[in-house]
Amino acid sequence: MLPYYLEICVVVLGSLMLCMELFAGRRSRAKIAMVGVAGLGVIFALLMFAVCSPGEDLQYWGIYHFDKWAAFYKGLALISTLLVLVMAREFAPVFKHYTSQDEEKSGIGEFYCLPIFVCSGLMWMASAKDLVTIFVSLELVTMGFYVLVAFMRRNVGSLEAGVKYLILGALSTGFLVYGIAWTFGVSGTFNLEELSVVLAGDDIPSAPVMFAFALLIAGIGFKIAVVPFQIWVPDVYQGAAMPVTAYLSVASKAAGFIVFLRVVDPFLAAPSIREPAIYLMVFVTCATLIYGNLAAIAQKNIKRLLAYSSIAHAGFLLMALPALGAAGTIAGPGPESAISFYLAGYLLMTLLCFLVLTVVRVATNGEDLTALEGLGKRSPFLAFAMLVGVASLAGIPLTVGFFGKFFLFNIAIQNAMQNGLWIVVFLAVLGAATGFYYYFKIIRAMYWEGSVSEGEVTGLKVGRLAMLAIILLVVAVFFFGIFPAPLLGLTL
Amino acid sequence: MMPSLNEYLMVSGLLFAIGFAGVLMRRNIIIIFMCLEMMLSAANLSLVAFWRFGNGQGMPAQGYDAQVLVFFVIAVAAAEVAVGLAIIVALFRARCTVHVEDLNSMKG
Repeated sequence: MLPYYLEICVVVLGSLMLCMELFAGRRSRAKIAMVGVAGLGVIFALLMFAVCSPGEDLQYWGIYHFDKWAAFYKGLALISTLLVLVMAREFAPVFKHYTSQDEEKSGIGEFYCLPIFVCSGLMWMASAKDLVTIFVSLELVTMGFYVLVAFMRRNVGSLEAGVKYLILGALSTGFLVYGIAWTFGVSGTFNLEELSVVLAGDDIPSAPVMFAFALLIAGIGFKIAVVPFQIWVPDVYQGAAMPVTAYLSVASKAAGFIVFLRVVDPFLAAPSIREPAIYLMVFVTCATLIYGNLAAIAQKNIKRLLAYSSIAHAGFLLMALPALGAAGTIAGPGPESAISFYLAGYLLMTLLCFLVLTVVRVATNGEDLTALEGLGKRSPFLAFAMLVGVASLAGIPLTVGFFGKFFLFNIAIQNAMQNGLWIVVFLAVLGAATGFYYYFKIIRAMYWEGSVSEGEVTGLKVGRLAMLAIILLVVAVFFFGIFPAPLLGLTL
Repeated sequence: MMPSLNEYLMVSGLLFAIGFAGVLMRRNIIIIFMCLEMMLSAANLSLVAFWRFGNGQGMPAQGYDAQVLVFFVIAVAAAEVAVGLAIIVALFRARCTVHVEDLNSMKG
């Protein structure tokens, strides 16, 4: 099977679900979500078993590439979309509260369909190796998110978040296009492989190349939420519906990172601009680590706290970048592998947290830390799942988050020993330590705060599918935290 | 006399700067949106200019990649306006305002 059939399958699945929505009348839309979950599962199986390309780099018409990274990030996109649909189904009561109680008028059917189309965009991003394809697929994803973020039309927060995301997203698009134009101006090509050949030449003027590089970083940095392009993150994460927030923080970030890696690579490989480019990256990394971790400390809203933690995680991920193409060899997995492993682990733990939070949100109608109070008594299982997710985000051993951080620190420390740049390692250690504090706030709220009277101790209602997803995610976080090799093997 | 690449780049840089300044300084969301469109047009202008003087001797570059991207950018800008204005209308219905100072329900 040709790899680009996968995207076609995803788009067909989305169209099919829209048709179902069209003929559903007044019936419940829950089935549409189930079709989506099943369809994405089948497509993931196709990706695993039908599309084979270990080691070989297939390319079609120069605009679609299929290599191991593409396969890996397509997998991430599919899994996260699948789990987001599970979450969206669980979230339906709250969603209807802010749109309409009527199945048809609430638009919940479309709410299930849109992530599928966004998923196709994410998968194209994973395969994009020229700036035109990157631009178009990135916009496909962003456009879907504009609608998803603002979807709860009777919720002021959601609309505000939608407008903020729209304006800052369009601004980043402007930077990206201008950066692409300047890249084309200095190199005469959009293809990243040809670009690296051109940039490796001696007669390349460094000032316009740096200008183009900075603009491209601004455009893509918005997607992966690095400082100073992170202003939108807290408000949008807080305002958007819970499944959309989860989708933004996982899938959008993962796809953004593969594009980021591919775009940054030719610039870092060019001898004439490597040094200023590295300094720019280090500045961005340090700012992201400081801002994300420090701003998270004071947060009381869980979504906002996770938003700042998501910025902090972007900082940890960027830590491995200066080692990209650096002189000297590094023992252990390389920067790209470490980043990919971390993103996969981040998917597992973040979606685990958000699944639990969705259940809590539906039951308690609150998004502040106080909503979690007494969860340890009300629902020991959910509290345990949340504990696992949060522990993994903090990077405690035996969870996948520990190995993710371990590989990144391994690279950053070895790179620092060879090329200096200890400041990044220092700030990352500080950031990880701060992380323990603000993640512990969540644990404290669940187990030590709030008194639950005997009458209130009733288990929270969890859908069967969501329950299964939570159990699988808990198992996966532990499994890859003890045996990272299977997951790491996919990224090497 | 025909303008050279530098002149085109000056104009496009100016357009981009005006657009960016507008986004930062104006308070009306609709006007901010117009400024954003202007930034995209500035990028389009430099793309076409870079293509037109692409081969180094003042002649067009080979291939039509740049023009194709310009068409994509125009299409994307149109889609963005369609989605964006819908969101702004929804916001206006809920809050009766299109000013950014009034978007302050979230803090922290």
